[in-house]
Amino acid sequence: MTTIVALILQLVLVLLLSPLTIGLVRWFKARLQGRLGAPPWIVYTALLTTLKKQHVISENVSWVFRFVPFAVLGMAAFLVLSLPLLFSNGGLPQIDLFILAGVLSLGSVFLVFGGLDAGTAFGGMGASREMTIAALVEPVALITFSAFAVVAGSSSIQDVFGNGMSVFSHPALVLSFAALVLVALAENARYPVDNPATHLELTMVHEAMLLEYSGPYLAMLEYASSIKLTVFLVLLGNLIWVKPSAALAPEAIGLAAAGILSTLIVGSFALALLESSIAKMRFFRLQEYMSVAFFLSLSGFILVFLL
Amino acid sequence: MSFFIPYLLFASLSLTVISGIAALGGRAMIFHKLSQIFLALSGLLGMAASVAVFLSPEIGMRVSIASAKFSPVFGLDLFGAVFFFLVSLVSVLCAVYAVPYLRSYRTTYHLPSLNALVAAFVLGMQIVIVSTGPFPFMIGWEIMSLASFFLVVSDRSAESVRAALLYLVMTHLGAAAILAAFLLLAQGSFFADFSLLTNLAGTAPAWVLPVSFGLFLFGFGSKSGLVPFHVWLPEAHPAAPSHVSALMSGVMLKIAIYGFLRVTLFLLPPIGTTASLVILGFGLLTALYGVLYAALDRDFKRTLAFSSIENIGLIFTMIGISFFAASRGLEVLFEVVFSAAVFFTIAHALFKSGLFLISGVVVRAFHSRSLEKMGGLSKRLPVFSAFFCILALAAASLPPFGPFFGEWMFFQSLLGHFSLHDPFVNAILLLTFAISALVGGLAIFAMVKLFALSMLAESRSPENALEHCERPAWGEMFSIGVFTLSVLLLGPFAPAVMALIRGEAAVPSLWLLSVGSAAIQPSVLLLFLFACVLAVWILRRLMSRVEHERAYHRWDCGAPVNASMEYTATAFSAPIRFFFRLILRTKKSVDVLPVLATNPWIASKSFNMNLRSIWMDFGYLPLGRFFIGLSLQVKKIQSGNIRFYLFLIFAALILTLRIAL
Repeated sequence: MTTIVALILQLVLVLLLSPLTIGLVRWFKARLQGRLGAPPWIVYTALLTTLKKQHVISENVSWVFRFVPFAVLGMAAFLVLSLPLLFSNGGLPQIDLFILAGVLSLGSVFLVFGGLDAGTAFGGMGASREMTIAALVEPVALITFSAFAVVAGSSSIQDVFGNGMSVFSHPALVLSFAALVLVALAENARYPVDNPATHLELTMVHEAMLLEYSGPYLAMLEYASSIKLTVFLVLLGNLIWVKPSAALAPEAIGLAAAGILSTLIVGSFALALLESSIAKMRFFRLQEYMSVAFFLSLSGFILVFLL
Repeated sequence: MSFFIPYLLFASLSLTVISGIAALGGRAMIFHKLSQIFLALSGLLGMAASVAVFLSPEIGMRVSIASAKFSPVFGLDLFGAVFFFLVSLVSVLCAVYAVPYLRSYRTTYHLPSLNALVAAFVLGMQIVIVSTGPFPFMIGWEIMSLASFFLVVSDRSAESVRAALLYLVMTHLGAAAILAAFLLLAQGSFFADFSLLTNLAGTAPAWVLPVSFGLFLFGFGSKSGLVPFHVWLPEAHPAAPSHVSALMSGVMLKIAIYGFLRVTLFLLPPIGTTASLVILGFGLLTALYGVLYAALDRDFKRTLAFSSIENIGLIFTMIGISFFAASRGLEVLFEVVFSAAVFFTIAHALFKSGLFLISGVVVRAFHSRSLEKMGGLSKRLPVFSAFFCILALAAASLPPFGPFFGEWMFFQSLLGHFSLHDPFVNAILLLTFAISALVGGLAIFAMVKLFALSMLAESRSPENALEHCERPAWGEMFSIGVFTLSVLLLGPFAPAVMALIRGEAAVPSLWLLSVGSAAIQPSVLLLFLFACVLAVWILRRLMSRVEHERAYHRWDCGAPVNASMEYTATAFSAPIRFFFRLILRTKKSVDVLPVLATNPWIASKSFNMNLRSIWMDFGYLPLGRFFIGLSLQVKKIQSGNIRFYLFLIFAALILTLRIAL
């Protein structure tokens, strides 16, 4: 019973906070770039408005196009339910890092299907790029997660991210943590891999796949990507200073929720700072990014054994 | 009932023969149907026989001639039964598929000979598995190889003949190597059965074992498509009719794995660290090259063939790791990874056969094997495309489908055995882990490319608007559906399957897989994923109006968009081609011919890209040129002068006497 209550609490909290993350990133970015910026909570109204709007469905699409938003948002919900975000043993106890990597890939795969189904060149371009990124990020994610698993002594996600293991308590993880940051940037289509604020064909990856979607489906897909960003920020935060609550007591939950909120604020500020200070990479230079990430994760793994 | 069990195996083999004979009755469709019915019956009996062995593995099954002095020639133990079950299952479903499928190709193929050859092919594979000595083993092997050679040429095109000849050469080099290895081990007694051979191998001279291991690795490796002996595979598998491709890729490769495991597990004494590292190295190389070409290729069936090479590479990687573990005394790692390899072999047989059956329907709809001409089939065949989607995701080893759990066990056991004591073991495991992870990522790319470019968007060939495409008949849909269902169910039932193949080390209970400290309930994972998607579906119904939608043309920047503007397979895989150009060395050229001398911008341009195979270009072709050059040199002694020939005969005689005496 307590598990179910914990799961619902975690689900509600993350689902409520995730649009705020996107809003905060945009607001910080605007401030850092000398603009006034829209208030962070405008994302909520934007999502609700999109949800109420009429669908425009292309005449050229098949069932796959309609199935994609459900699959992508479903995978995002799976992440929220199975990871230790608010509670240290939140979610299914048996979810391990391989399933996490697999579910992340599954989400990308469906997004790619959606991008290709309408048959426009934009969607195809985004799909091809996204698939390349997803295919090359998956090994990096696996190796990085494994390094954490070796240190934690268990491959269970709860033991890796939920038990208060941090970069400070295990300095050997510093390279793996850096690799995980690169994975998070690539998975969430942020700088320097993708520019989330653009609709220019040369630069966009994630947005190009959403181009055909409108109304509730668009809202679902955007919501899914905000959930994914939130989850990644919280996971990274767990590795630095935040501890998920171990029990279902009000003070502990309050502390953990405050931890999540502070992670999101600091994380979105860091992300905005990064996106304001570097340029997006040309897509064909991502080879270097991916190689750096791959060898960083590999050296992180080796470092775990050396130290 | 128990009275019949010993005869199941015999009946299964006989029905395969009868199926071949029935096919030769004539060109009438009734003989075609009869042949498939007998083949399906043979498969069903074969499945029953395998199940009987699963239930009582200690006894096994023997086909013997009563009161004869000969030891039984045919028998089935638990290890063979796993593979016999696969052969039987796939041949049943291929037979059901072939009834309508071959009807649409009755002018292309000569049906009586095709069906007879398929029966011979299946018979060959059955004999290989049930034989208990090298002699019947080699006979079965040859029947299988020759039948499949003729099946590859069955459409009689020049391209197929080229592919088949390459296949014939490679497969016979392999067969010769296997035969030589058996002869070396037997030390003169060729009619020895495997158990005697095991004893002989124990007393063999020191040099025999490594040599015969190398010969076995080459022989079985060339049959199963191990890089660099794989060059025939992407040519031969696609050239055959699709249900034969399914048999070749889904089962024949497994027969090679069966043979390799049979000799390394049961015949040779435990192989050492070096030999296991050789297997591992070949496995990793194969997986990496297979998956890269699978991601790049623009031909539907060739992509599947390359993906088979990749999967075989992974299986050999797992085998290599498990032997490595055995040689290092890591007993648990050996057991779990070995049963994971067998599990992945089963999974591969299911999804790859299903995908090749799908390729038959797809190729028939587009009248082409090129992905550049495909697209848009999911609008016309939604159920079919849903089956394809599940099989493709399963082939990409994504959760929650069966193959994922094979890889899961493999990765988990690698992860659980990183020890702090032995840097050598750590290095090997880490290298394997990293390359396998990279291969896993690229495999997703290859499968997504295959599904998305053939099923989604619109047809890329303007002359073929899919208006009149032939719909899959019920028999085809049935077989594809059964394969789809089986990869779906292989997930939740993975622990049960593992228990069946005696991988108890990883199965604490019937619904739980466990490796080291990690445990997983595949059925819960499947339900959980479905529940998440279902919850989203319900919430969307509650939160927004469903009917509130409008059909309109797609986003087109104000100018009409047509199918020629779609992303093609070449474009889709361009990033991978670019990122891995150092390994792949693909050749791309754009030829610009000016039309007007005055204006260089008005020019006709032609684009040319060659996805060549570096093994062909830098390995086989130079080798071929060397041999042709050598034989041209040798030809010089053919002067036409009879006295010179007499001298040669005399010299040969002297030389023979010199050696003999």
